[in-house]
Order: sequence, then C-alpha cells, then structure tokens
Amino acid sequence: MVDITVRVNGATHTGSVEARTTLSDFLRDDLDLTGTHVGCEHGVCGACTIIVDGRAVRSCLMLAVQADGSEVTTVEGLAPDGALAPLQQAMWDAHSFQCGFCTPGFVMQATAFLGAHPDAGEREIREALSGNICRCTGYQSIIDGVLLAARRGREDRAPQARPA
Amino acid sequence: MKLPYVEYEAPATAAEAVALLAEYQDEASVLAGGQSLIPLLALRLARPAVLVDINGLSELAGVSVADGRVAVGAMTREYVAEESEVLAEAVPLLAAALPLIGHEAIRSRGTIGGSLAHADPAAELPAVARALDAEFVVRSRSGERVIQAADWFEGYLATARQPDEILVEVRFPAAGPGAGVAFHEVARRHGDFAIVGLAVALTLSDGAISDARLAFSGVADVPVRGADAEDLLVGERPSAELFEEAARRATAGIDPPADLHGSSEYRKKVAATLVRRGLRAAVDGATHNGARRNGARQNGAQLDNPDERR
Amino acid sequence: MTQIAAERYTGASVKRSEDPRILTGRGRYIADVKLPGMLHAAFVRSPLAHGRVLAVDASAARALPGVVAVFTGADLEAMTVPGPDPLLAMMGGGGPTAEYSLLATDKVRFAGDPVAVVVAESRYLAEDGCELVDVDYEDLPPVATAAAALDPGRPPVFANLGDNIIGPRKRNEFGDVAGTFAGADRVAEFHIDVHRHQNVPMEGRGCVASHDAGSGVMTMYAATQGVHVTRMGVAMRLGLEPGKVHVLAGDIGGSFGLKIGASREELAVAAASRALGRPVKWIEDRGENLTASGQAREESFDVRAAFGDDGVLHGLDVTMVIDTGAYPVMGTMVPSIMEMMLPGPYRLAALGFESTAVVTNKASYVAYRGPWASETFVRERVLDLLAKDLGLDPLELRLRNVAPRTDPPRTMITGRPLVGVTTKESLERVARMVDIPAFRRRQAEERARGRYLGIGLATFIEAAPGPRAPGQPSGPMGLEHMRLKLAEDGMLTLFTGQMPHGQSHQTTLAQIAADEFGVPFEQVRVVVGDSDAVPFGMTGGSRSATMTGGAALHGARQLKDKVLDFASYLMEASARDLEITDGAVLVRGDPDSAVPVAEVARQAAAALVNTGQSDAGADVDASLEVEASFDGGEGGWSGGSHCAIVEVDVETGLVKIERYVAAEDCGALINPAVVEGQIRGGIAQGIGAVLLERSAYDADGNFQSATFMDYLLPTACDVPSIEIEHLETVPLDADVNFRGVGEGGMIAAPPTVVNAIEDALAPFGVRIYEQHLPPARILELIAAADAGG
Repeated sequence: MVDITVRVNGATHTGSVEARTTLSDFLRDDLDLTGTHVGCEHGVCGACTIIVDGRAVRSCLMLAVQADGSEVTTVEGLAPDGALAPLQQAMWDAHSFQCGFCTPGFVMQATAFLGAHPDAGEREIREALSGNICRCTGYQSIIDGVLLAARRGREDRAPQARPA
Repeated sequence: MKLPYVEYEAPATAAEAVALLAEYQDEASVLAGGQSLIPLLALRLARPAVLVDINGLSELAGVSVADGRVAVGAMTREYVAEESEVLAEAVPLLAAALPLIGHEAIRSRGTIGGSLAHADPAAELPAVARALDAEFVVRSRSGERVIQAADWFEGYLATARQPDEILVEVRFPAAGPGAGVAFHEVARRHGDFAIVGLAVALTLSDGAISDARLAFSGVADVPVRGADAEDLLVGERPSAELFEEAARRATAGIDPPADLHGSSEYRKKVAATLVRRGLRAAVDGATHNGARRNGARQNGAQLDNPDERR
Repeated sequence: MTQIAAERYTGASVKRSEDPRILTGRGRYIADVKLPGMLHAAFVRSPLAHGRVLAVDASAARALPGVVAVFTGADLEAMTVPGPDPLLAMMGGGGPTAEYSLLATDKVRFAGDPVAVVVAESRYLAEDGCELVDVDYEDLPPVATAAAALDPGRPPVFANLGDNIIGPRKRNEFGDVAGTFAGADRVAEFHIDVHRHQNVPMEGRGCVASHDAGSGVMTMYAATQGVHVTRMGVAMRLGLEPGKVHVLAGDIGGSFGLKIGASREELAVAAASRALGRPVKWIEDRGENLTASGQAREESFDVRAAFGDDGVLHGLDVTMVIDTGAYPVMGTMVPSIMEMMLPGPYRLAALGFESTAVVTNKASYVAYRGPWASETFVRERVLDLLAKDLGLDPLELRLRNVAPRTDPPRTMITGRPLVGVTTKESLERVARMVDIPAFRRRQAEERARGRYLGIGLATFIEAAPGPRAPGQPSGPMGLEHMRLKLAEDGMLTLFTGQMPHGQSHQTTLAQIAADEFGVPFEQVRVVVGDSDAVPFGMTGGSRSATMTGGAALHGARQLKDKVLDFASYLMEASARDLEITDGAVLVRGDPDSAVPVAEVARQAAAALVNTGQSDAGADVDASLEVEASFDGGEGGWSGGSHCAIVEVDVETGLVKIERYVAAEDCGALINPAVVEGQIRGGIAQGIGAVLLERSAYDADGNFQSATFMDYLLPTACDVPSIEIEHLETVPLDADVNFRGVGEGGMIAAPPTVVNAIEDALAPFGVRIYEQHLPPARILELIAAADAGG
C-alpha cells in the first residue's frame, strides 16, 4: 500500500492505495466522486477524462499513486454545487447529450481544449474531441454546445461598446 | 479489466532507477507515460512483478541542441515536444508526427522515450527515429551506451534496451537547409494507430534530391527503412515517374502482417500510395522556404467542411 | 432555470430536466451504486468457442485472501430454478429451445461463455481469483459459421436440439409469387450479406443484487430497459414470487436493445447475493461487453427480384439465414418481422420468404436498434442494383415504385395498411435538399480529375407504432399504462414503466402532461425505474412517443377532470366553468378566483386524512390520481428518406462522408431537439456499421474484436453534420400523432451509405452485396471488378 496526498476539486485528500489502483477507481471508489465514468479501461473511449495539473488526461491510464502531489479537477469540481460552468450551460442549451454516460469525459476534455484554444472552429473542435466516444448523439449536438460556449466566451471578452 | 497485483517503486533520481533495475532485471517494467503500459496491465497481458515509475525523474525531461544534434530527454512529454519551437525548427519530421499520436489526452502523459522504448511498430515515433537514424542513449549502473536506431528496434515491442537499463535520451540530427519532411499515415480513424504510416525526410540541393530517408510503420514488426527507394532517389530530380519507381522499390521487399484492419496485400498497396504522396509533400516542403513541417493524416471519414462554423 | 411559459411546450425544444445532473456528474448509474457490505463479482470465461468442461477446480481461488466465494455452473443450477432464458419464455417465441443454464455446466459454447463466478471484496481481487480457477476443457470442433451450422455432418452445439438449426421455418408466400416471376420482364438474383456488429452502449451491463433474508425480498439495482421485465426474469429463475423482487434503475448509459430482461450473469449475481446474504455488484467491463453481452445483424439473403423494364419491382423471393449464436434468445423472431416489412412503402405485388435460424459458437444474437433493419438494407440495395441494370436514376426508380397514398390506404402484400405514409414526399424533399443534377455534373468533373464522389439514397418506413389494423379491438402495440397523480406538494407526477436510457422521457412526457393539465413544465415530475412504483411497461420498439405520449396526454386530461371535480367543491363553482392555467385552478374569465394547484392538492390530502374536515365535504372523491391506459389510437408509420454524398479514396479505400441529409416524418414532434438527436445517433451507428464496426470471429470461433482497438466506433471526425428536415405529417388521430423515431436513423443509414459508395465506384463496375466496407474491402472490390472485366 502506498500513501498518497491529492488535491481534488480544491480539497486535499489523503489515502492509502495499492499501486495497481487506477486514478479513475480511486476517485470513484475511495473519494466517492462517481461523476468520472469508466467506459473501457484501456484508454480509448475518453469517458474517464479529468484534468490533472492543468492537462486533460485519461484517468484510467494513470495510477492513483501517480497523482500524489497533483492538482486534480473532476466534473464535480467545475462549478460550485448547484451551479453550471459556462460550458455546461451551453451544452444544456444546445441539447448536447442523451444518456449522459460519456458526458463528464466530454465536458472535461472540452473544458481543457477551450481553455487553450478559445477561438477554435468546428473542425478543430471535432478533432480535439475525436478521442471521446459517444454512442447516442452522433456528436453534432455536442459540437454545437462547445461552439456555443466558445461564441459566448468571445462575446464576454469583446470590448464593451461605449454608450453614445 | 483491473490491473494485476504489482509492487511499486518511485525512484527520485536516475541513479536510484537503474539501481532498482539492476536488482529486479526483467521482473520490472519501467512506467513512464503509462499510455501503452497501463492498458497492457489492465488486459493482464503484461505481468511484471514491480513497476519502476520514472515520472519523478525530471532530470530526464527537456530538449536541447548541441553540435547539430537535438537531444530529447526520454521523459519529455509528447505535448511538450509538440509545443517546442526548437523541435519544430530543428527536427521538423518529429514535429510533423507528434500531432498524429493518439489524442491530446494521450499526449498529456505519453513521453518521447516511453513510446520509443515500447516500440510498437504501428506507432509514429519509431518510424521517425528510424528515418532520421536517431541515437538512443541508455543508462545502467555500469554507465551509458549509445545505440543506433538501426540496432534499437529488434522485434515486436522489443528493443536493444537491456532489463537493467533505462532510456535517458534520444538524439536526432538537426535539419539543414533545403530539408523537406512529411509524415503521412492511413488509419481507420483520426488518432488511431496507423494501418501503414510513412516518415519522409528529404533534402533538395539545386533542385535535386541530395538526401532521402523513408521509414514505414505498420509493415513489419519493426519500422522499416525504404533503403532501395532512398538509393534510387539520391541525385535525381523529383518527378512523378521517379516517385512511382521509388514506391515500387520501397514496397517490393516488404511482407506486411495481416490483421482485422487490413490484409498484407492491402498494406503493401497503401504503403506504395504513401510513398508517392509522401515524397510529393516532402518535396513541396523542401521547395518552400527551406525546412517546413508537413504532416497529414489520411484516415477514414475525415471532414472537409468548407463552411467552417465558428 | 424556469422555462418561459410558452404557448405550448409540446413541439418546442424544451431544455431537458435530466441535464443539470448529467452535466455535473451527478447522474446515478449502476456502477455508482454502493451498499454497505457490498461484494464484487467477476466471471471466469471460456477461452474456447466449443468445448466440454471436464473439471472446475476453484480451490486456489477460494483460498485467495479477499475472495469470499466461487460458484460454478453446477452450484448455480442447484441454487436456481431450471428453465429457459426468461426473456424467451416471456416472449413465447415458440420452436425448440436450447438448453439454458446460467453458467456453463458440461459444455462451453462460445468464447466468453461464463463458467464460474468469483465473489470478492473488490473487483480487483475477484479478477485475481478468476485467474486461479482452473478449468479443464476438452476442445470440440467449433461451429464457427452459419455454413458450418447448416452442415448436417457437424456435431450439434446443443445435444437436445439434434442439429444446429433452431429456426426452421416453412416458406410463406404473399400474392402470386410464381405468376409474378413468370410474367416479369426481368428476373435478377443476388446474394446479400449483413455482417455481425453490436450495440456497444458506452455503459455496459451491470447490477447490484441485494437479498434480504428477513423479508425475502431481492432488490436488484439494474441497468435495464424495463424494470418489470427484469423483475420477472429474476423471479422466474430464482424461484421467487414476482412480488418479492424489487427492481430499481437510475440513469442508464445507453442500451439500444441490449439491456432487456435479466442476463445469465445478472441472474448468477442475484443467486450469489442470496446465498451469501450480502449485496453483490457486477459491472461488465468492455472486454465482456464486446465478447459476451451479445451481437446482432449477422444475416444473409438470397434474393430473386421480378421487375419490369420500367423499373417497377413486382416481386421478391427471399431466403434468409440468421446466425443466432450460442444460447439463442430473440434472434429466432427477427425473420418474421423482416418478412412483414420487406415490401416497404412500395407497390410490391408478391413476396416469397423463407428463413432458417442457426446456432453457432458465437455470442447470442440480441436486439439491436431496429433488429429487422436488414429488410430495408436488402430492399434499398436491390433497388439500386436494378436501377444500374436498367440505366435508371435511383430516385426516379423509387418514385415509380412508391405505393400511392390512397383512401382507403393500400395494404402491403404482407397485410399492413400503408396509411399516412409520406414516402413520396420524403423522397421529393431530399431531392430539394440536395441538388442532384448539380452533383452529377460535379461528379463527372471530379472523375475526370481522378476523384471518386458518389451519391446514395434510401427510404424506409417503421411501424412506430404502426397503423391500427382495421376492425381490431386493440391498438398496434398493446396497451401502455400510466399512473398520474397530483401529489400533495402540487407536483403533477407521472409514473411510467418506460425506462429512459437517452430518450429524454423525463422531459418529453412532462411537456405533454404540462400542456394537457395546465401547469408549468417544472411542476411535472416523471417517476421511472422502481418496480414497486411504476406500472408495467418497457422502452423499446420506438413505442414511447405514441404509446406513452398518448398515455400522458389522455391521462393528464383524465386527471384534470378529476381535479376540477374536486376543486368545484372547494371553489363552489361548476366544474364546467373551471380551468387549470399556469398552475392554478380558476373560474374561466375570473383571474381573481385562481387557487394554486398545490393548494387544491393540499386540501385533497387533508380531505383524505380527515374526512369531513376539509372544505370539500365528506362525499367528495379526493384521491387525485388516475390510472390511464392508451392503446395507440390510430397509430401510424414513421419513415423518411436519407441521402449521402461520399468520396472514396481509391488508393487507400478510405471513405469520407461529405454530406448527409434526412427528410423525416415521425408525426407530430414532442421535442424537435430530442427527435433530431435520436435520428443523428441512429445514423452515426449506421455509418459505423458500414465503415468501422464488425464483431469478428476467426475460423476457430476465437473472438477478435474484444477491445476498442479492434471494435471501432465512429468518432466526431467520422460523423458529419447531418441536415434534417421534418415533413408535414398526415394526422391520423384526433389527439395523438406522435410517432416513434428511435430506430429509423439506424435503419436507413446503412443502405444510404452503401448506395453512395457503390455510386462512387461505378466507373470501376463495382457492385456491392454486403454492408461492411472497411478500406481494405473497398480496394478488393475495385480490384475484383477490374479483374472481372
């Protein structure tokens, strides 16, 4: 067993884990953060995507012990309880999802991507999200949600018009 | 698909790491980015007794240039390499290949050294290393040795690295004036392993090809140089007929494996197509303002939406 | 965020009430369920396709610290009631049934067949335990293909069946088949194959079973399309009274037909929890899901087509073989649906149909989104092949074949009336969405440049729910039940047996009920997923829009009448003068009279408890609850036409879909965004089937697509933006004209894409008689056509 200390969604957690425990299982089972979903356990579907030290990663491809000392954000940590982050709001407005199983992975990957590429267009967004699999939507509504969030972000950043 | 039981060590220095490997030898697996090793563990295809996690070895990360060569630390994350302006300028073939590795989340963790030490013949970096005659620096408790790319790749997922060694650095030659590169692959989907891929690096001098390097991924259990094609190309002026003959020579001697994604025959045909397209692209790159990166992935159902939505 | 009180919610893309929890990771999926003392199960599975089980030695596994129990096939036989697969038993498929046991006992019949279940403190330890279970197998020659199954010389996979033909079906004829073929200008013959592929929801199967010895109640947390069907399955095999099984389901991560009833593994887990007296959880991993959960669509067709020089298809004669795998379940029922649907919306005058269902050493054939879809594939492929033979435009050919909409409606040769079908309109609409002549010009220019573009279209109809048969007492899909109640807190509460797994029922049903009852959308609560609380029902067959939408519509009206009756006493007004608007009961035209619905509910609750002390009086019916049933009304068809433009790279075989359009008719739309999402998702699966997805077995029955590296799903770079236009529908019912849309996308997309690819490859003389076209296959087809002349 290995002792680890991880900051998750702003709170410090200590735990004792077997080395073989994946970060996805540690989050879900030890910390009860079940928002991160497990879809394949071999790093292809992206459902387990979280943000570690500022980068989107597949939590099924990290061991919990490797997150010792790291800063982790899961889908539960994007907005305070009851609130929605702008991307989540945009995805709600755009009817992005159906069954919701892939959703946290998409939300986290898109959050990381838009953070680094706020002016991305459709093609770049599709490529950036092509590592997240959705079986329900055919992706268009998800892309619509991300584009909407990007547009709103640009509008927010645009200089305010001066009153005449 | 839960991982089997493993012991775990997280050395803080390279010296500690090689001491551990000297002790455990082939009972240890070195854990770098984990993007290849962890799936193997989850599928219980890899059964090491101990994982030696070298993610703490920050001394092994970084890119530096010296004596016309670019040294890339083995623990350099793929996304860091992708963002490196030094690499974009000095090793454009590597820069062309990097965005094709998996997806962004994979490149967040995956490392240059990890990919090359894992040596999947369908991966991008082994073909790049083979094309450029990269040098592999390994270290053990007894010291360091340098292995040439031609000797590094021994078989499917097998390299010349001994069980008590870690890969610490990979050295690439810096591209000179007149260089042009292309990295193309045919994959079922964006981000997938290639069915067949091709790394091309050329140098044009006064309109003729003065240096030509071609290396395939996905046509054997190791990356394969198209030596016969290279011999043909050197000294010649680019032309469609030349590329056609180069494609024929490059693929004459290969006997690609067959799997769910393609027959041997299919891979051979695609390899020839990649040679034609890759040479054309690399020549274009060389022609325009010296070295320029030119990477493209041709894969299934890629979108080409002229009305790009914003 | 409060929805703005629109004129009506129905017909608007009301934002989903499911989304706040879905988007923030607060959904409750089966893997999220945790109970005190819970254990974890993993299965030992056969590596062989076919073998005898000589011995199972679990002693080393049992000795592993953390392993609590190991149960073998024999153990489970003793712990459960023998019998057939519960779903098969409930559906009453008829015909011979294969021996069925929860775990393999004396034989393993497909690679992945479960042989033992290990229960441990964690899934990690359970998998460790599985590795220590030593099973001694004797290899048996595998029956790895339908051809092998049809060979009488091969040993039977099931001794009790005698051979490997589980569904021998006699030939059926509709119309004058012999005469039609004899009199036709032309007869053509084709062999068409549809390949094995599968549902692959992002969430696999799973359950948490918890048996309480004291009360005798088995609680099953399930991922299912119907809690009652699961309940009955568990009761049946565990020998429990159905009332002693309580099934709970939360959010479900997709299913597409997979998660129906109770699978062998889920039943084994339930039995284990009862034996151990502790909750046991099983979450299928992706390898299990791909290998063992079930697969679909492996069908082959010998087709003869009788047609005129003018392109009118007069007759079809079809012989079908369906590979139902080992442990056949519902696959044996698929051919009869196909037979009924084969004429489609066309003027077909004669149909001969014969099918054979075989058993092989592969995973079971399960229902996958439009299980009968191959009938559309075969028919739409045949039409394109005929068009090529005759040199006719495929759109024109179809228009010549579409049955005109008449009154009384024309009847399919197989018996169903084509009432309200808008096939002609959908084909014409597609032709307006895509400028086909302009495309043909571009196609010719690009061919001259060595680029190969193609266009394909296909049309379909779906019985969602299908038309009411004239003179029939009951509707097209049986009865749908719903309980509606005005709860004490003022929430209009719907209890339905529907089990949404992406269909957004909690939003769509609330829209309908809110409109009919008169409360804001936020004042409606839809309760699903509790077998103690909801009436019988399940989600499937694209039924819910009509059946459940109708139950909600009529039920809300019935409840409103009841509420107004009660309110009439409270408000001392005639019920005829009362209405419910914006959440309040008021005397029509007198806004000052408004009493919030919540207040009415509170008064009713008080009246029920303290009879005589409510304003309402002692003889008033204060139970504000109704049980509604809906039989589908007049029902109707859904349908549409799709068109795709593709480019084929003839040097690599890669296909790019440049454009995809759909003109659809699913009746009145409850929520356009939900409808479009269903269509796009189905189309994505159809694209996946053609370009990427195959459940592959080798000649020895070894499964080769057990990870996502080999079973490839379409990504955001594989599915283009899909343009959808909604047709003006033909209303058939006075009130309920919503029709189902869940399966149509997946039915129409495969022939659309294949037709486009064949069109792109026309210069090479390629003809396509199969559905799976990975890049290597496309190059083979080109080379074969070249070689053939």
